[in-house]
Amino acid sequence: MPLKTVKKDTADTLTLEWILHVKNYKLTLDKARCAGCQICSLACPKEAIKVEKQPKAQGEKAKKAKVDIDLAKCNFCGICDITCPYGAIKLTLNGSHDLSVLAKESYPELVRDIKVDTRQCPKECDDCAEACPLGLITVSKIGFGGKPVQNLTALTPSERSRVQINLAIQKEYCPTCRVCEYKCAPGAIKVRKFMEGKISIDQSKCPEGCTDCLDICPITGALFLSADGKVQVNELFCDYCGACKVVCPVDEALTLKRTRILHTPVHSGAWNKALERLTSPVDAVKELKATGSKKAREAVCKRFVFEEVIR
Amino acid sequence: MSQPETGKQPAPEPLRIGVFICHCGLNIAGTVDIKELVEYSKTIPDVVYVKENRYTCADPGQDEIRKGIKEYKLNRVVVAACSPRMHEATFRRTVSEAGLNPFLFEMANIREFSSWCHPSTPKEATERAKDAIRMAVAKARLLMPLQTIEVPVTNKALVIGGGIAGMNAALDLAEMGFKVYLLEKSESIGGHMAALDKTFPTLDCSICIEGPKMVDVGRHPNIQIIANADLLKVDGYVGNFKVKIRRNPRYVMADKCTGCGECKDVCPIEFPNEWDMNLGTRKAISVPFDQAVPLIYTINKDYCIECYKCVDACGAREAINFEQKPEEIDIEVGAIIVATGYDVYLPYDMPLLGYGKYPNVITSMEFERLILAAGPTGGRVIRQSDGQKPHSVAFIQCVGSRDKNKYPYCSNYCCMYTLKHVVQLKEKYKEDIEVYVFYMDIRSPGKGYEEFYDRAREKGVNFIRGRVSRIDEDPKTHNLILHSEDENLGVPIEIEAEMVVLATASIPKKGSDELARILNLTRGADGFFMESHPKLKPMDAPTDGIFFAGACQGLKDIPYSVSQGSGAASRAATVISKPTWKIEPIVSVIDESKCRNVTAKCGICADKCPYQAIKVEPNKPAQVITASCHGCGTCVAECPQDAITQMHFTDAQIMAQIRAALEKDPEDKILAFLCNWCSYAGADLAGTSRFEYPPSIRAIRVMCSGRVDRDFILEALRLGAGMVLVGACHLPYDCHYISGNYKMKARTDALKGMLEKLGMSPERFRVEYVSAAEGVHYAELIREIDAQMHALGKEKIKAENAKLKPIIENMLKRKKQ
Repeated sequence: MPLKTVKKDTADTLTLEWILHVKNYKLTLDKARCAGCQICSLACPKEAIKVEKQPKAQGEKAKKAKVDIDLAKCNFCGICDITCPYGAIKLTLNGSHDLSVLAKESYPELVRDIKVDTRQCPKECDDCAEACPLGLITVSKIGFGGKPVQNLTALTPSERSRVQINLAIQKEYCPTCRVCEYKCAPGAIKVRKFMEGKISIDQSKCPEGCTDCLDICPITGALFLSADGKVQVNELFCDYCGACKVVCPVDEALTLKRTRILHTPVHSGAWNKALERLTSPVDAVKELKATGSKKAREAVCKRFVFEEVIR
Repeated sequence: MSQPETGKQPAPEPLRIGVFICHCGLNIAGTVDIKELVEYSKTIPDVVYVKENRYTCADPGQDEIRKGIKEYKLNRVVVAACSPRMHEATFRRTVSEAGLNPFLFEMANIREFSSWCHPSTPKEATERAKDAIRMAVAKARLLMPLQTIEVPVTNKALVIGGGIAGMNAALDLAEMGFKVYLLEKSESIGGHMAALDKTFPTLDCSICIEGPKMVDVGRHPNIQIIANADLLKVDGYVGNFKVKIRRNPRYVMADKCTGCGECKDVCPIEFPNEWDMNLGTRKAISVPFDQAVPLIYTINKDYCIECYKCVDACGAREAINFEQKPEEIDIEVGAIIVATGYDVYLPYDMPLLGYGKYPNVITSMEFERLILAAGPTGGRVIRQSDGQKPHSVAFIQCVGSRDKNKYPYCSNYCCMYTLKHVVQLKEKYKEDIEVYVFYMDIRSPGKGYEEFYDRAREKGVNFIRGRVSRIDEDPKTHNLILHSEDENLGVPIEIEAEMVVLATASIPKKGSDELARILNLTRGADGFFMESHPKLKPMDAPTDGIFFAGACQGLKDIPYSVSQGSGAASRAATVISKPTWKIEPIVSVIDESKCRNVTAKCGICADKCPYQAIKVEPNKPAQVITASCHGCGTCVAECPQDAITQMHFTDAQIMAQIRAALEKDPEDKILAFLCNWCSYAGADLAGTSRFEYPPSIRAIRVMCSGRVDRDFILEALRLGAGMVLVGACHLPYDCHYISGNYKMKARTDALKGMLEKLGMSPERFRVEYVSAAEGVHYAELIREIDAQMHALGKEKIKAENAKLKPIIENMLKRKKQ
């Protein structure tokens, strides 16, 4: 039947569209924001997303993995949009970004718990904006009378005391890496990671001289090169997206586990399955146990047999 | 089921053959010397009684036959009169009334094949008539009594396809009291009609008139709808079909779903609705349209994310079951009605019209969903590019239809639905819309149709006769510029329209080939199913017990589909209303002791049978499903072991006819094998039309050209026949037995090559295709062959035969044993 579907792959974006006579579903992947992690491909209920490792040219730095979406399989549900830690995927219906899966509570929103107390901000400080590895923070200073202040030094001390600091964070793109929190000396920013987990590198298996994971990690400081030339993990900043795991050339050199995901309360089979894939069946059962969803818990057990975990 | 006896000579008593020669007024007696025939017949061995009649078919004539049988204890009867196609049935009845098995009767055609076609050569005509009687007696000597086969009938029917035709067929049969299974591939019955807005020419709402019918079907106690299901396999034969169906899972239990729709309200996922021509969407759990029958929701697992919100909404009803599996259903029916309908062609491969490229070029079916109040736009005709109502709409007719490069046929109803669309547009938007129709011819031959055309013209629609060659799009406004020729003015024109609607061809339903394979149906060049006879059996499939209704047999509009649905129902009732079904016993019988399949892998017969009436299992003799056998005899001719016999047309009988025909002066004779349905009928017509042709021909009737064994031709040549002719139905679709003519062609092509290599002049063995309507062609053909025979000359033929004879005798050795 005459369903008009479009898939456009340009240098900046990947666009998928269903053009119906009265409705237009559009899925856009912003390639600049995409970190090439596994999250969307794991969350996708239709297994429509593939994350392909890109070949590395001799002597060059590793490239982040490429995300490809199968137009024939995609059902434009928007789960990838919701789950992407970097907000790289956007789904719109007739231009509007209201997602039906959220409205019908078939999928939760991720909780990006970022608290900012600007009263504690020193007037001249914009460390957080500089520190944010993704450049999502803008610090603006508003003087008395509501005018933005360009040059603080030009102000009188009384005027300076009345300057208000405004911190704009583009939350939808924020992976809650906590770099800003760490860099904020007065402790004005409090960030809670929405993904919790464990990451470690088995130094015995990690190949000498390889820095592929470090090259593609979008969070500055989450991985670093130690004095012996090996890559080390700073778990404090890691957002557990798994982009490093995708590019790592050795199978068991890098272990990454997600154990918990912070989300709005929801009662949905789609979420349970996504959770299972994003974390592990064991961790999923833990969450279900906590929320008391007996039926769903049983469903998971039936497939995996973890009697001992539940009890 | 009684199997016909393979028996050898059944009658232990000596042969007593009676020959009854008919004057047919002066029709025969005017040309043929009856006295001489009578005298001659008396000299034929085994003939004990000869009687002439003025009209044998009249009551006194038939009385003579009955009297003869009783008084002279006749155990074989030969009537020399008209064509067996005319009166064979009459005389069979007559002899059976006298207590003789009706199959111990044979006819000699001395009217159509003698007196009528050779009026200016009475002497030769008489000679031909004598030969005809001798041939008939030769066959009569070997005739065996046969019993008509009766098979029990299952008094149920299966209707495949729940569109308007199938629904009517099912309803009619159900009303007659038969149990009907209505098989539907999609989720709901209703077919294309349920997707239409209005119907022409009355403009009444389509679903308003079809909806109640759908409900009737759904509620009828005799109808069981099996929707969302596929046909897997059909075994058996008329009266006794065994059908395997797979019901695909809906993931909603039919018996528990109340159709309330609460699940749909909570479902977050939408997908393009095919029912809406993908103009709009439906939920991942939904019904295709509100009036669906059966009203059972379906989960589309291709799109469902399994959030189970629907399970919560369904609550205590517990109708949703994600674990549902496909279910196989076995049913038994006596008759099958095929009503699978059609598909709509989407002109993606006609780039000049811009469909799929320009957003404002749509098909008529899409337009139908746009103008429908319950459609995705709520009845607003809007453009895809900007969502605005167009101020000018151009309709293009015959997109794909009547196009030699695409679909050469006329799609029947496009003119009428376009007229409906233009009238609807004009009545809805009045002066606010300009409408153009580009057409080749407006075809409006139905009741009230021409008046409807007038109505459209009175509304001020611009009808332009011409084919649109190209459509361009204005990239800014997305308006379309149509390039065409106005044939009436003879000038090229360009028209700008804001929307273009293409009346695309209707094409055979996807999967027709698969269905044809399962049911053993044939399809015409256009891909639609072939009926048994285009005029007199328009609803019968070539396979007994299978009937057609609606557009699957050829495109037709709603009233014709409805009437054909009812017609097919009554045809099916002729089968399933009887406790048993009678089959003429001229079927094939396998001699299990000779069948090669026991020791080797053979199965040629099963492979060649056009009806799949032969079952072959490894290391077992092949089995004929007698009720499926149509009696063409193709397997008999193909069997390398001569293990198969066609009752009433046995090898021995036909060989006897060949020998009788070529008893005297074989070099001067054309020996012809004519198939009963086309070439024999064509030869009859040549006689009926009094087309004169040379009397050198001697014809042997077979049911199908597929029966013509290689050995028959060899035997004829061994005996020295001047010329040999095989007459068949025209290729590709005329064969009464689907493909017997093809099987004969393959066989004779090989034989012809061989004979030519052995030094026979190629013109001496011919295969010709003569239809029942081609009397002239037949007469011309015989004249041509006769001329060729004379041109070759008796001496050359004799010389060739002398050379051939030892080789053929060697080949036929096994036959003689």
